[in-house]
Amino acid sequence: MPLIRKIRAGTVLTLAALLSLLPAGCAKRPNVGTQNGGVPLVGFPETPAPPRVPGKPGGVFRLGIVEPVAIDPYNSQESEGNLVTENLFTELVNVNPDGSVSPGVATSWTSNADCSQWAFTLKQGTTFHNGEPVDPAAFKRGWERAAARSAASEVAYHMNEIQGFDAMQAGTADHMSGVDATAPDRLVVTLAHPDCEFYLRTYKTVFSPVPTVAGPADNKAYNDQPIGNGPFMMDGPWQHDRGIRLKRFDGYAAGPKANLDEVDITILPSQGGVQAEYDGFNNGTFDWARLPTPLLSQARATYQPRGEWISKKTAGINYLLPMVTTPPLNSAAARKAISEAIDRVAIARGVFQGSQVPADAFVPPALPDAYQSGVCTACRYDPAEAKKLAQQAGLTPGSTVNFQFNTGGGHEEWTAAVTQQLKRNLGLNVNYSGVPFTDLLNNEQQPGASGIFRAAWGADYPTPGNFLQPLLSTAAIGATSPSQPATGDNRGRYSNSRFDQLLAQAAATRDKAQRIGLYQQAEQLAIGQDLAEIPLWFRQQFRLANTIKFGNVYLDFAEEPTLAEITLR
Amino acid sequence: MTRFVARRAAQAVLVLLVATLAIFLATFALGDPFASTGEKVVPPEVQAIDRAKFGLDKPLPVQYLTYLGNLVHLDFGVDFDQRRQVSSMLAETLPNTIRLALVAIALDVLIGVIAGVIAAVKRYSFTDVLVTVSSTLAIGVPTFVIGLVLVGYVSGFWIFPVVPRSFTVQVPWWHEVLLPAFTLAIIDAAFIARLMRGSMLEVLRADYIRTARSKGLPERVVIGKHAMRNSMIPVVTYVGISLGVLMGGAIITETIFQYNGIGYLLARAIQANNAPVIMAVVVVSVVVFVLLSLLVDILYAYLDPRIRLD
Amino acid sequence: MRRPSQLRDIWARYRRNKLAMVGLFVVVVLVVTAIVGDYLTPYDAFEQNLLNATAPPSAEHWLGTDVLGRDLFSELIYGVRLAMIVAVSTVTLSLVLGVALGALAGYRGRATDTVLMRATDIFLAFPVLVGAIVVVRAAGQGIWPVIVALALFSWPVSARLMRGQVLALREADYVEAARSIGAGSRRIVIRHILPNAIAPVLVYAFTSIGVVVVGLASLSYLGIGVPPNVPEWGRLISQSVPFLRVPGKTHLWLYPAIAICLTTLGFALVADGLRDSLDPKLRGDG
Repeated sequence: MPLIRKIRAGTVLTLAALLSLLPAGCAKRPNVGTQNGGVPLVGFPETPAPPRVPGKPGGVFRLGIVEPVAIDPYNSQESEGNLVTENLFTELVNVNPDGSVSPGVATSWTSNADCSQWAFTLKQGTTFHNGEPVDPAAFKRGWERAAARSAASEVAYHMNEIQGFDAMQAGTADHMSGVDATAPDRLVVTLAHPDCEFYLRTYKTVFSPVPTVAGPADNKAYNDQPIGNGPFMMDGPWQHDRGIRLKRFDGYAAGPKANLDEVDITILPSQGGVQAEYDGFNNGTFDWARLPTPLLSQARATYQPRGEWISKKTAGINYLLPMVTTPPLNSAAARKAISEAIDRVAIARGVFQGSQVPADAFVPPALPDAYQSGVCTACRYDPAEAKKLAQQAGLTPGSTVNFQFNTGGGHEEWTAAVTQQLKRNLGLNVNYSGVPFTDLLNNEQQPGASGIFRAAWGADYPTPGNFLQPLLSTAAIGATSPSQPATGDNRGRYSNSRFDQLLAQAAATRDKAQRIGLYQQAEQLAIGQDLAEIPLWFRQQFRLANTIKFGNVYLDFAEEPTLAEITLR
Repeated sequence: MTRFVARRAAQAVLVLLVATLAIFLATFALGDPFASTGEKVVPPEVQAIDRAKFGLDKPLPVQYLTYLGNLVHLDFGVDFDQRRQVSSMLAETLPNTIRLALVAIALDVLIGVIAGVIAAVKRYSFTDVLVTVSSTLAIGVPTFVIGLVLVGYVSGFWIFPVVPRSFTVQVPWWHEVLLPAFTLAIIDAAFIARLMRGSMLEVLRADYIRTARSKGLPERVVIGKHAMRNSMIPVVTYVGISLGVLMGGAIITETIFQYNGIGYLLARAIQANNAPVIMAVVVVSVVVFVLLSLLVDILYAYLDPRIRLD
Repeated sequence: MRRPSQLRDIWARYRRNKLAMVGLFVVVVLVVTAIVGDYLTPYDAFEQNLLNATAPPSAEHWLGTDVLGRDLFSELIYGVRLAMIVAVSTVTLSLVLGVALGALAGYRGRATDTVLMRATDIFLAFPVLVGAIVVVRAAGQGIWPVIVALALFSWPVSARLMRGQVLALREADYVEAARSIGAGSRRIVIRHILPNAIAPVLVYAFTSIGVVVVGLASLSYLGIGVPPNVPEWGRLISQSVPFLRVPGKTHLWLYPAIAICLTTLGFALVADGLRDSLDPKLRGDG
């Protein structure tokens, strides 16, 4: 009996003692000091595009990806799916690694004066892998297949400017009225809203042509073994969770033929996939790999001297998404306080080992015509100024700010660093939490959402408009009232009529220089003045590539290997 | 005997019903699988179409009953990501998991029983202390640490295939299964060794062993024939339960070794909020577990006639 | 009923068991560390120094620093406290639930027994980790969801143990005696049966502390449970996975792994020792 009493009392006491001590703290040594050798300057330099090597047929190129959502163009969406779809299909235009545009199946494209109608002239005599001709009807077929309501495509929204798209999504039409494929060599597209950059969109895989055998979007056989018109074709169906094998399409006529005999794409675990790619490169399994962030500088030291290191600035931005309509970040001063309290350089050095470039604008330097260095004045680290701004905005020490990020994406370390800097520099009580990605997106959309969220954006097509319009325009909020969830991409709910006006004006401006000037004004307003997003790092990609065996290996605009050009040395 | 089996089967069905309901509710508490899947937002109209397609617009009780109805025909529905038949995903992965579980159990029993018997027979010897200490230590090491160390330092050598490897490289299944099986077996073998040692010591003190010895039977026969058989009872129970757990998929080990079983399938499904796959894997593991524990109960009765079944 | 003299006997038997004493030492050190740990750590376990990340062990940082430049020694000490809180709370919760429901099932019998035992069947049918993952994912991030999830799948074992004990003791002479002098059911269970039935359940509780510690670490390893900026042992290991094969960075994952092993080992040894000394018949001494 007493034994029981003693133990029970003891347990309760211990527990109480432990719990009472949890938030305690006492004087600690400051954690300062640096390692010898030092960390490289911020931002690893880009490696130039490799010198062209004359192509010769042959070779098997091997790489790893995680299981794609889809490889059928109607729903191919994330980079893994795109890698496959992009090589199985050729669209109207191509975007080169440097962001410039070159012909795909279309040899030329023109628009009318107000950019509301576009005409694409198609190359004659190109075929699908099964021999069917690639004609305007094949494009119309592919687009309508993806736009149909029953397809429930998650990427069809890229077509939303085309007349008749809405009716197809609503299920009230079987054909897209704005797409005219009656001419044998010309595809004419009528838009609901003028867009002088529409031709850029047609580079997305959802604009692919499909042969008649494709059938509707839910045709399982085609989903797993799409027949396209690209430089590579499927070699057997997609082996789910195991791999995908591509082989060269010898009848390719839309451009230069591929050189490689075969591409073996192994499907890796989604958790630790990047690590597996890197391990696979090291053990000779793969010829191409991404790298885990913590190993960047070590891998660079090993592989750069051997010429197997690729580093490229790409059209993307990592940023924090502030909720601009709900306290405490409903003032520009509060957002600037947060931004200036973040030591981007220290995080770039510490967590990213100097690999990432701190952002000073929202539109990245990978779009050189549009990039405005320093347009984000609040992107520099100034804790004293940050304190003043915070005071001004009522963001006093002890105020609570929510900070959410998604787990499993390698964001744990740098978000923990941001959290600590906000605590240290502004005395904020940061309510920091990691949630699954779907939950993060869902939380961002909620009407009462407040604070900051981890976010990143990669350009779909090479134009500043693709950063500003979907992320900051009023139309992209996707909610008719503040009490509704924000279903568009502008989840911070920034709304500024002058900004919207500038964008509309830009879309209808045919002259490129003038158009870009308008985009720059818009960025100046939303980022320079209002800081509606908090830019952190410009996107930069690093890859390892087996350049000893292969030539012409480089990263394309969509951050995929240039498979169609790779050749044995 | 028949009555016992019938009663236990009825209980098993009841357990399954309640368990599936619990999984169903918990899976749906995970949130809306169609909220959005990528960096860019899925239009609300598309989300609505998807929900209707998978019957998520119907009230929960209807969804559950539909699910149960389909389950009877081994139809686990369609997965949310790629709209594949979940039953075909199970058909691909379950045999791998069963293989892994069986090899792991074989290793378990082999290592555990031998170590346990030696420790018991040579009590207080160096071997005994070694077995006791190492088995206690092994119980403390988390599986993921063992797995990571084996992947990091052992895979790629001898017959152990590299991780990761290209899907075009064919590896004999027994090469692929060894390291993950060993990872899983270490901890169980330690448990079995401890169990075996304890029950062996008890049996060795029993009168009939003393009799056997006094009759002048060789020690090998006494230990091997008389003592071992009777000390196996707790081990059999443990192995049964352990097999049930392993068949349910070793989520961490399979993921670390990139082993295509239902544990790895579940890990991916949880990451992607893929409710039908989560449901299916958990249902399968619960069914397997319940069936195996039923089997163990019956086996137990045969091994030890003192246990009455009714 | 146990008297103080019995307690002395138990302690005397326990003391003779060297391994059990080692285990007790480890457990005492862990508990003391958990309570006064804050005074032992040279640095704040959360304070990052990004310019000194993954530094090897040195005079300033005895076990080196982690990927965020936090002092690994301080983190491990913090981890002790976290592990102890989670383990003690989980085991207490599952013990309270298990003992109460087990005793109820054993003493009441009939329908109550059937319903409760089928309930344990249901919980036992789930693989613990899988069950816990689903519960934590549904309940959200934090320490409490982890505690609740782990307790939810561990109470059935103590309930079953308790029920078995109560069934055996229900018919014991002294309980009959108590009943005959008119003691009420509640009094009989609480004063007479429980104290004598609880020994094996307590032994199980000690064993399960190790399971909880590993469970917590496994969940964090998978990125589920405690927030990722908390230096939990499993989290420390998972963030150092990229460095697994990097020479000179072994400290990143090795020391947290040792901390987990040591904790589990300590409690397992104490549980073994307790079992042997509480019931000498179970020990092979003869």
